[in-house]
Amino acid sequence: MPSPLRTLFRFQESGLLFVILALGILLTAFSGTVRIPLFERDADGNRKRVFTTSAAGERAPAFTVKNKFLNVQNLAQLAKDTSFIAIMAVGMAVVIISGGIDLSVGSVYALASVLGALVLHRFGPEGPGAGTAPWLGVLLGVGACVGTAALCGLATGGLIVALRVHPFIITLGGMAILRGIAFVVTKGQSVGGFPAAFRDIVRSEIGDGLSYVPLLVMLLVLGLGWIFLSRLAAGRRVYAIGGNELAARFSGIRVARVKLGVYLLSGLAAGVAALLSLGYYGAATSGDGQGYELNVIAAAVVGGASLSGGRGSALGVVLGALIIQMISSGIVILGIDQNYSQIIIGSVVIAAVVLDNVNTWLAKRRLTAKAA
Amino acid sequence: MPFLELSGITKRFPGVLALDGVSFAIERGTCHALIGENGAGKSTLGKILAGVHCADGGELRMDGRVIAPGTPLEARELGIAMVHQELAFCPNLSVAENLCLGDLPRRAGFVQRKELHARARAMLATIGADLDPAAIIGTLSTGQEQLVQIAAAVGTGAKVIVMDEPSSSLSAAETHELFRLVRELKARGITLIYVSHRLEELFALCDNITVLRDGRHVVTESITRTDPHRVVTQMIGRELLIPTPAHLGRAPGHRRLAVQGLSSGRKFRDINLEVRAGEIVGVAGIIGAGRSEVIEAIFGLDPAATGRVTVNDAPLPLGSIDAALAAGIGLLPEDRKRQGLVLGLNCRENTSLAMLPALSRAGWVQRERERALAQGFVTRLRVKTPSLESLTAGLSGGNQQKIALAKWLARSCDVLLIDEPTRGVDVGAKAEIYQLLDELACEGKALLVVSSELPELIGLCRRILVMRSGRLAGEVARADFSEAALMRLMAGVAAA
Repeated sequence: MPSPLRTLFRFQESGLLFVILALGILLTAFSGTVRIPLFERDADGNRKRVFTTSAAGERAPAFTVKNKFLNVQNLAQLAKDTSFIAIMAVGMAVVIISGGIDLSVGSVYALASVLGALVLHRFGPEGPGAGTAPWLGVLLGVGACVGTAALCGLATGGLIVALRVHPFIITLGGMAILRGIAFVVTKGQSVGGFPAAFRDIVRSEIGDGLSYVPLLVMLLVLGLGWIFLSRLAAGRRVYAIGGNELAARFSGIRVARVKLGVYLLSGLAAGVAALLSLGYYGAATSGDGQGYELNVIAAAVVGGASLSGGRGSALGVVLGALIIQMISSGIVILGIDQNYSQIIIGSVVIAAVVLDNVNTWLAKRRLTAKAA
Repeated sequence: MPFLELSGITKRFPGVLALDGVSFAIERGTCHALIGENGAGKSTLGKILAGVHCADGGELRMDGRVIAPGTPLEARELGIAMVHQELAFCPNLSVAENLCLGDLPRRAGFVQRKELHARARAMLATIGADLDPAAIIGTLSTGQEQLVQIAAAVGTGAKVIVMDEPSSSLSAAETHELFRLVRELKARGITLIYVSHRLEELFALCDNITVLRDGRHVVTESITRTDPHRVVTQMIGRELLIPTPAHLGRAPGHRRLAVQGLSSGRKFRDINLEVRAGEIVGVAGIIGAGRSEVIEAIFGLDPAATGRVTVNDAPLPLGSIDAALAAGIGLLPEDRKRQGLVLGLNCRENTSLAMLPALSRAGWVQRERERALAQGFVTRLRVKTPSLESLTAGLSGGNQQKIALAKWLARSCDVLLIDEPTRGVDVGAKAEIYQLLDELACEGKALLVVSSELPELIGLCRRILVMRSGRLAGEVARADFSEAALMRLMAGVAAA
């Protein structure tokens, strides 16, 4: 019977929501408390510490005691950190649904950051182009960053299609090559000194330190990814190719073109994330985004994208990214040694895939039982 | 007491009830034939005995003891081995390594090559097979590989050997050798279960016969008490009757598809054919004659194809699926699970797969139109599916085939190339598909149908083209249809 409860359980992403809820409760329960300094805004709108005066007349900074996990600052931080991974994970989801894999996202992110940073530096306060209109400098920087990432994606897709080599190999090579280029271009130096306007936009906050720009961009990317995958003909083609490339070809789908597009999207997503990081951190080095491919692929896989292709959703991988980020930040909050984080995330990925297999097996059994 | 006793064996696969309470007994030291149509469940039953599949219900007894082989290894330990149709070995390893894979002779972890080869040679000698133990399996012929499988079975002390379509890809000499071996194994007291649909072999080799139909047991009797005609009737359940198709009553219209001098490397040469509106033309030939290759080339899947193809008298550039689609050609491929359907997508999505551009506006799929289109075909083709949103993976073979066909009907193609329209489809759905093809021809479409089942072509077509070794060997008009005439053309034997 299709009761509302049943419908909720059938909802593809309900399992992920349940995991998020459970993680949230666990972290809240075990994280303990933290003393957070109180701030207030003065007449000019600047943030200032709040002080209390004790009975003895001593002025001391005021604190409030909050749950280490469940407090506004931590949640804002979590939202921001999740955004970077989630944006790239949406791109990765499209690649994985098409039956491919993109190991180069971290390096694309680094190269796009670095090249964008070099352009932004030129137009920054210390650069040779300091006199130019700030909007022009920012525009060129944004173009350099996103354009680089898109080109990287196109090149990856082009090589995969033209050479007919497994995407794992092409993107493994790309991962090393692109990071190498980023290193050579910057000679390993950090690049900063951007036009102030750029940082101000990305870092704008509301409330108690919530940087809403990365979050908004992530929601935008999620929306676009959802529309692409579930509403556009192009997205349907991605599912078809991932599900059965030969049948897709026999149905007249131009497989090479779709694959090219898929890696372009993955590159673009890495570019958008890189752009946000430039604005947020105000500097870039060739070492940025090291190991991001693990987190991004983990997010996609935990979010239900099947590595054998043909299955996955944009919302799923964004929730997957949230789970991965909750685990990473949970490790910090619970005071577990940071060095364990890779071990834990790696284990989560394997566990997610095993669970997915069990689920597929159960579904198959249901189908079999129905046939009787 | 019978040696092997099956009672109430039941097996379900997604969308199909493959075996439905099958019960019969097999005597020790006999060769027992298992026969039935495609999808009757004969291979499934063999695989249950050999531990490849687990039965969902029922009981298996050997010498009175209940057995339940859950894996091929457990079956081996019980003394039941299987000789598979498909590759059962690691093709990259040698004969000797494959034969001893479960128990490689080794000292301190190093494989003892000499002992390995000696052991393998001994195993091969027990069945009189003259093969080099060092030969790599991948380089052997199917017949030779089968010998290795039999040697492996006998060498591990099998008491029961299940042979699944053992002669299906053997040459005449190899088949002869196989028969000799089967008789010899029987003489040694080994019980053989011979799964096949080749009647003449069964009558030459077997002692008893069990007929299965649609997963149910029909009869088990001594081979001396029956005859081929009776067995065929039991297999089909009734005399197979394809009512005379309606399209034959109408005159064919204008030329839809014309092929002149179509060639492609060694696959096929100099193919000329023509299909008119309202015509169903069959293509017969043995496997490997190049039938599927020709229709794939017409559909633009063969970049090496040369020749002239016209659709509605407009020339069609070869080697481009886009051009073939634009000209109104559709291809229902041979292997629907591999080439025809995306099993992970649902019925609606598979139906619209070949016409997404027409169904979308500015890249957005028009969901209402898509749903209406798919619903229309599901109703018209009588597809049995829980809903439009059900995955095609869960449908039975016949219903999957209907969805694969709906994909092309949705595009309203003028020319339909159809490869094995009813492979792996149950009897009821077969009749429906025949009727559907007839309706399509009556609507003025041109159908070119490749099939390995001669009765199907004879029942359905106006003309049948016969291919042999990549060339057209001849054309037979409906008035001259007979299995014997077609067979002679297929095999290249002059009429007696």
